[in-house]
Amino acid sequence: MRNLFLFFREHYFYFLFLLLETFSLILFFNYNEFQGSSLYSVSNAVSGSVNSIFNGISEYFSLRKTNRVLIEEMAKLHSRIPEAFYISDVNVFYKKDSIVNLEYKYISAKVISNSTNKRNNFLMINKGSIHGIENHMGVIIGNKIVGQVVSVSAHFSWIMSMLNKDSRISGKFKKNNQLVNVEWNGGTYRKGQVKEIPKHIVMVKGDTIITSGNSDIFPEGLMIGTISGYKNAQDENFNNGEIVFSTDFNSLGYIEVVVDMMRKEKEALKASFKTE
Amino acid sequence: MTSRTLFFNFIRFFFLIFFQVLILNHINLSGYINPYFYIYFILLLPFDTPKWMLLIAAFTLGWSVDMFTNTIGLNAAACVMMAFFRPFVISAISSGPESLLGDTPSLRNQGLKWFLYYSVILIVIHHFTFFFLEVFRFSEFIATFVRVLLSSAFTLLLVLISEYLLYPRGK
Repeated sequence: MRNLFLFFREHYFYFLFLLLETFSLILFFNYNEFQGSSLYSVSNAVSGSVNSIFNGISEYFSLRKTNRVLIEEMAKLHSRIPEAFYISDVNVFYKKDSIVNLEYKYISAKVISNSTNKRNNFLMINKGSIHGIENHMGVIIGNKIVGQVVSVSAHFSWIMSMLNKDSRISGKFKKNNQLVNVEWNGGTYRKGQVKEIPKHIVMVKGDTIITSGNSDIFPEGLMIGTISGYKNAQDENFNNGEIVFSTDFNSLGYIEVVVDMMRKEKEALKASFKTE
Repeated sequence: MTSRTLFFNFIRFFFLIFFQVLILNHINLSGYINPYFYIYFILLLPFDTPKWMLLIAAFTLGWSVDMFTNTIGLNAAACVMMAFFRPFVISAISSGPESLLGDTPSLRNQGLKWFLYYSVILIVIHHFTFFFLEVFRFSEFIATFVRVLLSSAFTLLLVLISEYLLYPRGK
């Protein structure tokens, strides 16, 4: 017993190393389960408040640009109000019944931390569960995709950017509705990869890829990007292409979170089949 | 360790963490270069730091950076790995305990050659662990390896700049 004790004392450095290293690795690989724990929400609150202080300062540097974006957005909205339309017909058809339901709702939020230089990039926004944000909601800017919500605290949300190895977005060609997958392999944040393009599709540079609406995360028809190059694989069933993202991930200021009002219904429908 | 060095290390700890998460993490150079300069703290710990404290300090440092980047355990694992190798690297590249002048590793005390060996080996250990854990895919081996080398070079550059700025030769 004494020898055992001495052995431990002699080699405590190795044991301590193994202990700490294993502990870190367990946390790292079980990250998803860990997100729910109380320790996590404490660290999220600390980093959230530091980030918002720092962001409060750096916000001043981009006021000019924010103004420009807001003015553009305002012009776009002005052009949509009824007064902007020339009404040629007096017989306006007005419909109000249960066939028309609101499917998507949008919550605007400000990005308080963002990165584009890592292999796995995340954003933090200043709205959380008390504003109605939940996990797996899509995040967009204008009509362009950004990512999806992966973790929510009371006042902040953590968003997995498109620029992440776990991010995989279902898209389609705008011209012929052929489904593809969009991923990001690292490197420059402007370009991603289009996977699983059926062989018979004729691509040209500049083809537009939009969201397919198949994934319950994004509504259909949001811009993902345009094809900038492609390779015809000889020995596989699918071709791969390169895409230039429409979103400038490095200059996200204000974004919108997509709330799918009919999501519960869709999920219940899927679940009801599984339990059969 | 005197209370004075303890105090300086404490300040350095917080300064480097904030420098890392508020400034360096926002720098984007071609998607391949991410300097992790905060590990300068581990490089600069005094020679007579107890080994257990070395590991605990590295773990705390990595954990604190992890809190801000939402990569719980990633930086901590890389830092602990680096701290574990530190005593071995020091004894491997020094001719003997008497050759270690001063109480902290520095360019002024140990000379350029010693300091370069010391920091290059430890920085590469850290970055290697960090990037390969982060990607955790062998299909991107070459790309990850390039990231390790480029980022290590950039971190080393920052370390050398601060060595020359903060501890100039000949007082």
